[in-house]
Amino acid sequence: MSAEDMTQQCVPRYVIGEPGRAAALVVPRPSADLWGRKDTVLDGFQVDSPNGAALAYVRAASVRGLSHRAYAKVRQDAYGVRVTGDGRYLVVAVADGLSAGALSHVAADTAVNRGIRRLNALLTGADQAAVEWAPFFRDLAADVERDCRDDLFDRGVADANSRTLPEIAATMATTVSFAVLDLIPFDSGHRVVMGTVGDTSVWVLGDGGWQPTQPVKNDGADLHSSATHALPLPAEPVRAAGWVRPGEALVVMTDGVGDPLGHGTGEVGARLAQLWRTPPHELEFTAQVGFARKTYDDDRTVVAVWPARG
Amino acid sequence: MESERGKLLPFYLVVDVSYSMQGKKLDAVGRIIPTIVDALAKAPILSDKVRFAMIDFADDAQVRLPLCDLLDEHIVLPSLATRGGTAFGAPLRLLRTEIESNIKQLKADGFAVHRPAVFFLSDGEPTDPGAWESAFTDLTYYDKEKRQGFPMYPNVIPFGVEGAVPTTLQRMIHPATGSKPMRMYLADHNQDPAAAITTMAEILISSILKSGQSMAMGNSGILLPPDEDLPGGVKSFGADDDFV
Repeated sequence: MSAEDMTQQCVPRYVIGEPGRAAALVVPRPSADLWGRKDTVLDGFQVDSPNGAALAYVRAASVRGLSHRAYAKVRQDAYGVRVTGDGRYLVVAVADGLSAGALSHVAADTAVNRGIRRLNALLTGADQAAVEWAPFFRDLAADVERDCRDDLFDRGVADANSRTLPEIAATMATTVSFAVLDLIPFDSGHRVVMGTVGDTSVWVLGDGGWQPTQPVKNDGADLHSSATHALPLPAEPVRAAGWVRPGEALVVMTDGVGDPLGHGTGEVGARLAQLWRTPPHELEFTAQVGFARKTYDDDRTVVAVWPARG
Repeated sequence: MESERGKLLPFYLVVDVSYSMQGKKLDAVGRIIPTIVDALAKAPILSDKVRFAMIDFADDAQVRLPLCDLLDEHIVLPSLATRGGTAFGAPLRLLRTEIESNIKQLKADGFAVHRPAVFFLSDGEPTDPGAWESAFTDLTYYDKEKRQGFPMYPNVIPFGVEGAVPTTLQRMIHPATGSKPMRMYLADHNQDPAAAITTMAEILISSILKSGQSMAMGNSGILLPPDEDLPGGVKSFGADDDFV
C-alpha cells in the first residue's frame, strides 16, 4: 500500500481541537526487533454477579502512539483487569513503560500482571477493599526487577544479574496505577481504593465532570517535564480512596490521555465525558482513546468501569 | 489550566549579520530556514511541535521571524542584509525578553513548552567585551533551589566560522556541565566559511530531527547528533575541551 493510500485510511474518526499534521500523515511502521508486540489491544465486557445480574461494564484500550508508529517503536503501555477469585472486587491496572528504556514494555507488562496477581491474593476473601500500598509496591518493585533481569538474560544479556538496579531501570521501567473496586455497593456507592507510582492517573467521571484522585502532573511548572517515578526503582506510592456511583465511571489512564485531559475542565474533558456517559462499543471506545489532537502522539491507554444500576 | 493544547519545542536561530558576513556567507545563512522548512515538511510528528524564531544581530539585534510554525502558509521568510559590528550582548538581551514573553504567551494560550534551544552562529569576535558576558549570565543563570535567575533559560549551542574565536564561543555553551551538556560546532581552519554554514545547517536540522525522536523516547528537549555522524569540515567541542 502506498503512503498516499495509507493516509486516506488513517484519517481519525475522533478529533478534539486541531488534529495536527501527524494524525493524517504518519505512516505506521513496525519495530524491527519486537514483532510480537501488538499495536493495539482492547476489551469490552460485562461483569456479572453469581446470579447473573450485571454488576459493572468494562471498556479497555491500549493504542500505540503516533510517535511510536512513526519512529518504528513498540507500544509501551499495558493494562490488565480481573475480578478477584471470590467475585467481590474488580482490579484494574494501567502501566506506562518509560520511553527512555528500549524494553520498557516488558516492565509495563510485568507490573500489570504481577500487581494484579498480588492484589488478587491479598483481596480474595477480604471483607473490605483495603490495601497496604507501601509494602505492596515494595514487593511489586522486586517482582518487576526480577522479571526484567530474567527477560534481559533470555535476550542474551549475559550480565543481566550483575547489573545495578539503575542500569536495569534505564533499559526497562514503568509507571503503574492500580484501582480496586468493591463490586458490592454500600449505600448506593462502590468503594474504590487506588495506588499509583508515576504519572498514570485515576479519575472518577460523573455529572460533575472529571474528578482527579491525585494531583495533576506539571501543575504550576514553568516548563514541561516528562520526569516521573517508575518501577523497578523504589518509589513512594500516591494513595487515594473514594466512591463510584452508578451513572459514574472509574477511569484509569496513562499520561497519553492524561496530559491532553489536563484538569479535565477543557475541551478534551468535555468531549470524552460526553462520549463516556455510558459504555460505548469497545471498538468505538478504542477509536475514542486514539483521538487526534495536535502534538499528542504518545501511547494511549484507558480502562473505564461503569458500575451497573442496581 | 484547562486542557493542554499541545506540547511545543521552541528553537531560536541567532545569526550574525555584521559586515564581515557579506556575500556567500550571508547567502548561506539565508538558505538555513528554507532548508529547515523542507525537512519539517517530511516530519509531521516534529512539525506539529516545533516552533522556530530567527534573530539577527550586528550592533543591534532584531527579531526577523517571530516564534512561529514554519509550515504555516502565511509565514513570510525574512531576507537578510549586513549592517555594522558584532555586539553579542544585543541578541542575548533580546533572547531573554523574547523567550520570556513567547513562553508566557504560549502558556497563556494553553500550550506546554519544553526548554527552548538557541543556535548561535557567528564569524567574529564580540565587539562588546564586558557587556555580552553579563547579558549571557542574565539569559542562562538559574538557581533551582533558591529560584533565582531565569527559569526558562535556554540550551545554547554556538556555531563558529572563520573569524570566530573558539575560546569565546566556548563560554557560550549552555549548560556546560550536568547530565545533558551542550556542545559547540566549529568550522575547520581551511574550510570555506559559506560551505561551513551550510554544513552547520545540516547539523542543526539533524539536531532538530533527533530532538523529535528523543521526545518520542521520553526525553524533553534538544539532543545533538553524535560526533561520528557529523559531516566533514566541522568539529564539535565540549565546554572543557582544549584547542590545539
